[in-house]
Amino acid sequence: MFLLSSGRIIKFSFQDIFRNIWLSIVTVIILALALFSINMLLVVRVISQASVEAVKDKIDISVFVKADASEEKIINLKKQLENLSGVEKVDYISKAQALEAFRQKYQNDPNIIQALQELGNNPLTPTLIVKPADTSNFDVLINDLNKINDDIIESKDFTDHKLILERINSITNKVSDAGMILSLIFVFISVLVIYNAVRVAIYTHRKEIAIMRLVGASASFIYMPFLLSGLIYALVGVLAIVALFYPFLSLLQPYLEAFFIEYQINIIQYYNSHFLSIFGLQLAGAAMVNIVASYIAVKKYAKV
Amino acid sequence: MIKLVDVSKSYTPEVKALDGVNLHIKPGEFVSIVGQSGTGKTTLVKILISEEKADEGKVLVGGWDITDIGQREVPYLRRQIGVIFQDFKLLPKKTLLENIAFALQVCGQTPQKINSIVPHVMKIVGLEDKQHRYPHEVSGGEQQRAAIARALVHRPKILLADEPTGNLDSINACEIIDLLLRINQFGTTVLLVTHNKDIVNRLRRRVITLDSGNIVSDQKHGKYLL
Repeated sequence: MFLLSSGRIIKFSFQDIFRNIWLSIVTVIILALALFSINMLLVVRVISQASVEAVKDKIDISVFVKADASEEKIINLKKQLENLSGVEKVDYISKAQALEAFRQKYQNDPNIIQALQELGNNPLTPTLIVKPADTSNFDVLINDLNKINDDIIESKDFTDHKLILERINSITNKVSDAGMILSLIFVFISVLVIYNAVRVAIYTHRKEIAIMRLVGASASFIYMPFLLSGLIYALVGVLAIVALFYPFLSLLQPYLEAFFIEYQINIIQYYNSHFLSIFGLQLAGAAMVNIVASYIAVKKYAKV
Repeated sequence: MIKLVDVSKSYTPEVKALDGVNLHIKPGEFVSIVGQSGTGKTTLVKILISEEKADEGKVLVGGWDITDIGQREVPYLRRQIGVIFQDFKLLPKKTLLENIAFALQVCGQTPQKINSIVPHVMKIVGLEDKQHRYPHEVSGGEQQRAAIARALVHRPKILLADEPTGNLDSINACEIIDLLLRINQFGTTVLLVTHNKDIVNRLRRRVITLDSGNIVSDQKHGKYLL
């Protein structure tokens, strides 16, 4: 009996979808467009987060060492810095490496290269570049660095860095908050759009629902085909968005690579690695909205 | 078969659609309920199929007290009463055969039983060659026949016909009434709600006349009085 009823409910649901094919197509298109806008917002968030991370990645602290400091003392200082809790890594740039990098940087500026040659010796000092583990705990790191009292340190004034970091962290938080609010607004609008599309689809079936009641159809027999149709619309809508969005991402990717030239931002890889959570969540959300909308709409017309 | 005891129903405090109606219809009767528009005929049908509930009084259908019937029991009541309407109320996206079969499918009948009952009922109403047509592809008379067939598949003891000829020409109307008479001959109680004077006078069966929610006349072999 249960199998018979379930089979009929599935049959009626598919029959209804195909016999009202244009209405079904329009409902799925509206659903897919709503999901497309949500995915667009997700892409914007991923890119904005990647931009912030790229800026944070640029932040490091240079500890300038006296030119006459011995290699052994510099290595000891490097180890001391590496042992600090807020430090991710410390790179040692020797005098020779600093000179080479300087020459590379100004190879197209003959005046600077000539001035360097006229000096005769290497004027640059060895540098230890400290990469912070977490930019939000920058205060602690600067305090720790200020406590190190080694006579080979030429300069250890980090005040400017602190100010810049504070600004970056403030911008990051604001971007994150704005993104969250924008996301919620988008999700809310999408939910309303999907909800309305489903209600309109069921409105066209109001006479059928009343007739079903009149011929003695039980509540489950009236509700279930519509709830199942809602589930199918959600599934088809998400499949459509998967099929549409990947080509869109493929078009977008070269522009992202060109823009973030020194950083690896791969939006397709991001979607691939988060496929289940992104589209699974969208399917669950769309299915839930569809089912709730269908239930409320059918309830309204099934009161006969 | 149908018993109404002091049944009243109001949609607004000022106007009573039914006002203390007492009615007893025996099994196998063919009863016409007549009256002008707004006299409470359709309200009576709605109460009998539990589309509306009486404000006061008691309603019994086939010995079942449906006065305070629960929502879950309504489908079971409707499977015991066949109902046809002026506007046929067929599902537009289903063929005539599917429309008729649907009434059996919703109550869990097996495909074997559906396949044996539906063609038989379609033959009774003369639609055996139009099984796979959609409602919009057949005439009004044929749509009403399909509606009657749908009402008959449960072998109901009562058939309620609410203005079944209202949308039909006189020839089709006569055919539908003849069909209802044949169904009545098989033992089904038929309750015909109409304001078609010619039909009521031709039938010469029991006629109940309603006026302003009251029964003003109940004649065993009556005529249309108003």
